[in-house]
Amino acid sequence: MASETTLKSLHPLEVKTLLHYRSGDVFDAPQMQTDLDLVLGQCNQALSWLEAKGFVAEAERRTEISYERTALGAEYADTGTPVERILKALAAQGPLTLPALAQATALESRDVGSAYGQLSKVQILSMDESKQVSLEQPDAAPDAILRALLERAAAEPLREETLSEAERAVAQANGKKRGASSAIFRIIEHEVVRYQLSTSGAAIREELQKAGVTGDEIGRLTPEMLRDGSWKGKTFREYGVNAPTSRILPGRRNPYCEYLDSVKDKLTSLGFEEFDGPLVETEFWNSDALFMPQFHSARDIHDVYYVKEPQHIREIPEPYLSNVAAAHENGGQSGSRGWGYQFDRDFTRRLLLRSQGTVMSAKSLKDAAVPGKYFGILRCFRYDQVDATHLSDFYQTEGIVLGNEVNLRTLLGLLKMFAEELAGATEVRYVPGYFPFTEPSVEVHIKHPRLGWFELGGSGIFRPEVTKPMGIDVPVLAWGLGIDRMALMHLGLNDLRELFSSDIEQVRLRRKAG
Amino acid sequence: MPKIEVFRDALIRGIGAKKLTDAQLEELFPCAKAELDEPADADGIMKVELNDTNRPDLWSTAGLARQLRLYRGGDHPRYTFFSDSTVTRESGDRRIMVDPAVKAIRPWVVGFVMTGPPISEAVLKDLIQTQEKLTWNYGRKRRSIAMGLYRADLIQWPVHYRGVDPDATRFVPLQMDRELSMRQILTEHPKGQEYGHIVADLPLFPLLTDDRGDVLSFPPVINSAGLGAVQEGDTTLFVELTGSDLDSLLHAASIVACDVSDAGYTVEPVRVEYPEQTPYGKAITVPYYFQKPQSVAVTLVNRLLGVDLPASQMVDALKRMGITATEVTPAGGEKAILIRVPEYRNDFLHAVDVLEDVMIGRGMDSFEPEMPRDFTVGRLTELEQYRRRLRDLMVGLGFQEMIFNYLGSGRDYLDRMYPPEAREDAYSRAVQIANPMSENYEFVRPSVIASLMNAESVSAHAAYPHHVFAIGKVAERYEKDPSGTRTLTNLGFLSADRDEDFNIINSRISAILFHLGCEYTLRETRDPRFIAGRAAEITLAGGKAVAGVFGEVHPGTLERWGVQVPCTAGELNLEELLRQT
Repeated sequence: MASETTLKSLHPLEVKTLLHYRSGDVFDAPQMQTDLDLVLGQCNQALSWLEAKGFVAEAERRTEISYERTALGAEYADTGTPVERILKALAAQGPLTLPALAQATALESRDVGSAYGQLSKVQILSMDESKQVSLEQPDAAPDAILRALLERAAAEPLREETLSEAERAVAQANGKKRGASSAIFRIIEHEVVRYQLSTSGAAIREELQKAGVTGDEIGRLTPEMLRDGSWKGKTFREYGVNAPTSRILPGRRNPYCEYLDSVKDKLTSLGFEEFDGPLVETEFWNSDALFMPQFHSARDIHDVYYVKEPQHIREIPEPYLSNVAAAHENGGQSGSRGWGYQFDRDFTRRLLLRSQGTVMSAKSLKDAAVPGKYFGILRCFRYDQVDATHLSDFYQTEGIVLGNEVNLRTLLGLLKMFAEELAGATEVRYVPGYFPFTEPSVEVHIKHPRLGWFELGGSGIFRPEVTKPMGIDVPVLAWGLGIDRMALMHLGLNDLRELFSSDIEQVRLRRKAG
Repeated sequence: MPKIEVFRDALIRGIGAKKLTDAQLEELFPCAKAELDEPADADGIMKVELNDTNRPDLWSTAGLARQLRLYRGGDHPRYTFFSDSTVTRESGDRRIMVDPAVKAIRPWVVGFVMTGPPISEAVLKDLIQTQEKLTWNYGRKRRSIAMGLYRADLIQWPVHYRGVDPDATRFVPLQMDRELSMRQILTEHPKGQEYGHIVADLPLFPLLTDDRGDVLSFPPVINSAGLGAVQEGDTTLFVELTGSDLDSLLHAASIVACDVSDAGYTVEPVRVEYPEQTPYGKAITVPYYFQKPQSVAVTLVNRLLGVDLPASQMVDALKRMGITATEVTPAGGEKAILIRVPEYRNDFLHAVDVLEDVMIGRGMDSFEPEMPRDFTVGRLTELEQYRRRLRDLMVGLGFQEMIFNYLGSGRDYLDRMYPPEAREDAYSRAVQIANPMSENYEFVRPSVIASLMNAESVSAHAAYPHHVFAIGKVAERYEKDPSGTRTLTNLGFLSADRDEDFNIINSRISAILFHLGCEYTLRETRDPRFIAGRAAEITLAGGKAVAGVFGEVHPGTLERWGVQVPCTAGELNLEELLRQT
C-alpha cells in the first residue's frame, strides 16, 4: 500500500507512464514518445525518476549497431569507389600499367595495387608480361553491394538488423568503430534499455487508478487559465508539502550591523543624541583635550597609528588650543595646577587615526546643549596584534551627559539603566576605576544572564581640565560601554574577527543566536 | 596598566592580617583600583593588575599592602626621614655632587641609602620589580626616570654626577667581564641596545662615580660590574634615580623609601648639591617632601557626589584612604577640606582629585544610584537616518549587507584595484599609516568597492549570484580640509554573476536614486577599475557635483583579485547625496 505522500510525489510524467503500461508490458523511451505523445527528453526523465524509485525495472538491455557514412564514404558515393574508378578507366582507355592507372584514377598507387589484387583474384583483371593491366569482364560490378549501401546510408545511418547477411559483411569490412576517417562507414554501437513495471510499480499503478489521478491535473496555474476559465472543472495536482525546497538568496541586513543599530535605537530612546566624526584625528583631540599629558606612557608611538602624509593639521581652532595648552601647563582657568610642563604646540597638530571614542565626547562638548545627552558608536584604531580578542579597528560606544544636576549618583543611575536596558543585567556592581580624563572614575560590572559577571564599561565625571577649556561649566558624565562581548553572544560567535567577516556565505547564513 | 607580582604571604603580613582568602582580598582590592589577575602559584606569587596610572606607589608589595592596611583601619605609618622646605635631616657625608654639564643632558639626580637586615631574595625581587615598574610605566621607559641600586658600603662619598666624553670613558658594565667605552656599550651591551637611544645623540653621556672615580653606573643604561653589582645578603644599598623631571624623581624616591621603610629598613638621607638653584633650594636632602596641600570645598564634594555629607564624615573617609585631612574655613571663604598629601602620592592636581578618595573611602555601596531627571530628545544624526534609508533600499533590491574592517593593505586596496599605470595616482590619494604594525593594516580604505572585491575574492564557494553592499566610512587625502584628509560615508555595492552587465547596474542606480528623490545625470568616466565605455559618474546639481561611480568591473581588476565571475560595482557618497536632496 503506497502512502499518500508517495502518490503526491509523482510527477505527471511518471503518472502517465505508470498508467499507460500494464504489468508485463516492455517499453522504452522511443516507444513512450509515440504512446504518450511526449518528447524524448521527457520520456528519459520519467524513466530515470521511476527507476530511482523502484517502480520500473530493466527488462532487457542490448546493443544496437548502425553504420554511418563517413566523409570518405560520401566522396566514394559521389566519385566512385577505387574499384569502380579502375574499371571505368580501363573500360575507357584500354590496358594500362599500374602507375598509369593510378594517374588516370587519381588514386594512391597503394590503393590501386590492393584493388588490382582483389580484382585479379576473381579474374576481372589480368596483367600481361609488359605489366599492362586489362579488363577481362567488362560487365562485372564487384562493388554493387557497397554502392547500394553507400546510397542507402546517405539519409541516415544503416541499422544492422535491416541488412542482409552479404550486406552486413560488406558494411563490417568497410567500417571502423574508432579512427573511422580512413574507413567508409563509422560503426555506431548504441545501448538500448527496455523497461517494465516492477511489483511496486504495479501496486502504485493500482493506487493511482483508485485515486483517480490521471496525470492531466493542472500543475502551474497560468494567467491564461484564469483569463479563459479553463481551470474550471479540472482538478489540481496535489503537491507534497514536504518536498525539499530550493534555496533562495534573500536581500538581508548584516546581523552585526543590526545589533549596532539596536544599540543606537535604544540609546536614542533613552534621550541620547548621536554624534559622529572623522577617522583622521589630531593628538589635540585624541589625547590633549582629554588632559592626557603629552609625555604620558599611554601616548607612545606604539599605541596609536600616525598618518604618514600629511603629518600635521594646519591649525587647531582657538580658543580651544590655548585653553587646553594652559590646562596642561598650569591648569589655566580650570582650578588645576596642571601637569607643569611645556605644552608642545607642534606635536598637538600631529595627525593620527582616532584611537578612542572619548575623542568625540570631548570634541562634542564645545557645541553641546545643557542639559544634554550625547552618544556615538565610533570606529577606533589601535596598534594591536590582530587575534580573536583584538582588532586593529573596532567600534567603541561612548557618550556624555551634561547638566547642572548630574553627579556621581546620577552616573550610577545611568550605568544601572544601561546595564538593565542594553545588557539585560540581573545584578550590577560599581568599582572605582581610573581614566586620565575623569575624576571620580567608576567601572560597572554586571551579571549577565548568559555571560556571567563581566565589565560592561567605564565612566566618570569629566575632569574640569577637560570641560573648562571647552567652555563648559557644568558637570559632565562620560561613559563608554564594551558591547562587543554581547554582540558576539548575540551572533553565537567567539572570535571578534568574525564580526567583520568577508566571507559572503558565512554572512548569509549568520543569524541571531538563541 | 601595570601588572605586578606579589608574594602573597608578604602582602598579607603587610596588610597586618593573619589570614585572608582570595575572595576577601578581591573585596578589598577596589580601594586600590587593583584586580587579582592570577592567584598565587606554587611559589606563593600572585599577579595583581593596578589600574591607576597616577598611583605608582601601589606598584609594589609594600605599597599595595599599605593601602589595603589603611583601608582596613590600620595605623598611618610615620616616615621620619623626610626633609621638606622647613626641616633638613642629617645626611652625614652622604652627598651627591652635580656637575653643571648634566643640565643639558639629564639634569636631575636624587638618592638615599637603605640599611638593615641582609637583603633576602623576596626583598631584592620586590625592589627590582619596583625599579622596573617605576622606570618603565611612570618613568617612560627610563626616559624621565631611571633607577639604580649600589653597594653603599663600598662607596667612597661623595658621589659625583657628571657629563663625560662617551668615547674616552671606559668601565666594565654589569653582565660583562671586559671594559667598554660608553659608546661601545650602546651597541655591544643588551641594555645599551635597549635604552641607548635615550642618550645616543647627546654630546656628553651621564656618569655616576664615587669620590675615587670608581664608576657606579651609566644612567639610564647600565650599572658597573663593581659598585653596581647588588646581591642577596647585602645590608646597605645606595638607591639613586636620575631623569628629566625633578618632581617625578623625588616622588619615585619617596615611594621606594616608604616601601623599604615599611619592610623594616632604615632610610638614611643623602644630600644632593646642585651647581645652581632648584625649585627646592640649591641642595636637596632626599627623601624630600615636596607635595603641596590640596583643598576642596565641602559643597563641591557634596555636589559632585550627589550627597549631603558633613565635613567630618569626609575627613573620616579620607583617613581610611591614608590621608590626613582637616576642616578649614578661610576668612570670608566657604568651608573646605584641606588634605596633607601622603609622601608616596603625587596625584592631586585639582580639588576633584580629593573627592574620589572620599568616594572610595566611604565605599561605592553608600551611593544610591539615581536616574538623571533632565529631559532631552534623543536623535540619530541626519547621515545615520539617510544611511538607514539607503540600507533598506539595498536590502529590497536583494543585496546582502556586509561590514568590513577599515584598515587593509596597499596590495588589496590599491594594487589589485588599479592597473600599474594608475597606481601612482591612487596611492597619492590614499591615507597611509606611518607606523604600521603589519603591511596587512597599512592603509585606511579608500573605497568600499575595495572591501567588496576582497569579499568576492574569498567567496567563490558561495552560491551565485552574489549581491552584496556595505555602507561605511572611507578616507582620502583632501587638500581643502585643514587636516589634508577627509572621511566620507559611502555606499558600495557589488554583484557577481554570469549575467551581470552595465545595463543591470544602471537600472539599479536608477531605482535607488528615484527612491532617494535625486535628480541626476550620468557622465561617462574613464575610471580604470571599470571597462571603458561601461562606467559612469553620477552627477548632481546640473553636473556640478559628483556623487558616485558605477560600472562593469574591468577583467584586469577581476584577474588581479582572482575573481572569475563578471562583476558590476558602484559607490555612492552619502554626504553629497544628502547635500543635494
